[in-house]
Amino acid sequence: MVGPTASLSNLSRADGSASFKCPTTGCSVLGSVNAPIELPARRDALKPEEATVEVFVKPGNTTAGVGERYVEGILRTMLQKVILGRERGFARRGVVITLAIIGGDAVERGDSYLTLLPTLLQTALLALLSAAVPMSMTFSTALLAVTKSGDIISDPCPVDAKTASSLHVFAFSSKGHLLLNESQGRFDFDTWEFVRERAYSTCRGAIVAGSDGDIAMGEEGEEGRANGFIRETVEDHLHRDYAWKIDSA
Amino acid sequence: MGPKKDLETPRSNHSPKGFIQRMSKEASLSVAEREFILEALRQDSRLDGRRADQFRPLQISFGEEYGHVKLELGKTRIIVRISSEVTKPRDDRPFDGLFNINLELSAMGSPAWENGRTNELEAYVTHVLDSVIRRSNALDTESLCILKGVSCWSIRADVHIIDYDGNITDAACIAIMTGLQHFRRPDAVVRDGQVVVYGVEERVPVALNITHKPLSITFNTFNEGHNVILDSTRKEEQASEGELVIGINNGGDVCFMSKFSGAPIDAMEVVTQSKVALDKVKEINAQIEKVMEADLAKRAKKGMAEESRAANDREI
Repeated sequence: MVGPTASLSNLSRADGSASFKCPTTGCSVLGSVNAPIELPARRDALKPEEATVEVFVKPGNTTAGVGERYVEGILRTMLQKVILGRERGFARRGVVITLAIIGGDAVERGDSYLTLLPTLLQTALLALLSAAVPMSMTFSTALLAVTKSGDIISDPCPVDAKTASSLHVFAFSSKGHLLLNESQGRFDFDTWEFVRERAYSTCRGAIVAGSDGDIAMGEEGEEGRANGFIRETVEDHLHRDYAWKIDSA
Repeated sequence: MGPKKDLETPRSNHSPKGFIQRMSKEASLSVAEREFILEALRQDSRLDGRRADQFRPLQISFGEEYGHVKLELGKTRIIVRISSEVTKPRDDRPFDGLFNINLELSAMGSPAWENGRTNELEAYVTHVLDSVIRRSNALDTESLCILKGVSCWSIRADVHIIDYDGNITDAACIAIMTGLQHFRRPDAVVRDGQVVVYGVEERVPVALNITHKPLSITFNTFNEGHNVILDSTRKEEQASEGELVIGINNGGDVCFMSKFSGAPIDAMEVVTQSKVALDKVKEINAQIEKVMEADLAKRAKKGMAEESRAANDREI
């Protein structure tokens, strides 16, 4: 199976940027982050001591509509929790995240954004890391589908996603906590629990809980695919950024 | 606003700038920078060492789909995606298909642009693109008609500006024209009054009918019209006193000319510059043709390899 591809800081004007390509949906997203930035119209923010997080999803070949507004809402609520908006220099400022879908098929009008949600979240995270926005944790995401016969497929292709009886998107924090759970379709609690476990293992690797309930480092088997991917991408980028220092040492 | 760290000489028309960038306004040039650009131009040289009538290096590449163009003009980067859809034609033009150019500036291109809000630049660039490409009938909309008054193709060009470093008008124009020439729409036929649209696998998709290939060329003037340069960067644009846009095609037909704002320009200058514009358009169109051919040849080869493959698809 072909893994996702990503690169960091590929734009020159934005503070941080990242591009991410998901192999199963064939969709590629370009994300940019500008932070901290002055938002002239939002002087009277509800929480003046925190940064305002703005998310903008720009579809590739249609005008943004209700679907985009909805997914922006999901992204904003989640990212607001992760970004440390009270850090020095961030209060009363804005964190503007722009995600443009630049490759792959467009989401049809009225269709849910659930299949694209993990890609959008990963891109947003990488762009935030590239912009060096303070965050309390990183996260990894997974998309799973439950077929009519009850099988769980991770990373379903568009055809599978369309015929599936339910679709689930999960995001787990770097500490293993469930951050986001979006589902659609018919399913029961048991199914959801199975799907969650499966999602956990794709994101975080096998569950190896220590006696105190914490996941001990080192005890963990192979690190989760999704989490490991984010780590590798950022590590590669840092390695290139600090090449001058590494070479001289 | 934090400590006032204004190193620029305050000018009457701009507010002092802190260390945090302000939205909805591009950071203005300092007096020293402006003077430097103007003085350099007086001595016939530009910041990046180009000649006055030279474009920045232009790079065009294509995405996986037809009509997905990635363009780089110096540091300005644009992505254009062309898409098609079957719709009902307008009641007053039952023989015509639809063609729209859609440009939305987002915070990705420049922190000065606010998401979801239109600004002056967006309106201006959209107007120029509309005039040069759509209203000059570069894409023959009559060929998009499938069944009179019932169904037609609607072609849509979406322009994403992902890095802004000046001259987005010309860059977007080149990208859209390349996209239109590269795009292939599914084949559709009318059978017993029924419209049948064939999938890309069933029938070879068809190219759009391009009547002519106009491009816009933007000139910026400096020093009371003594210096006229092509393809200015963002800084040069900011230092410029006026601009002139000429939309012209390979045959030398001028389809658009605009002296939108700024200082007046000599009438003779307009005539001489349209000659320069014609040469430039020919040069750029030749370059577009070259990359297009290379890409289509690559696609044809890949397509045949896919078809003549004997191995079965394997589960990996």
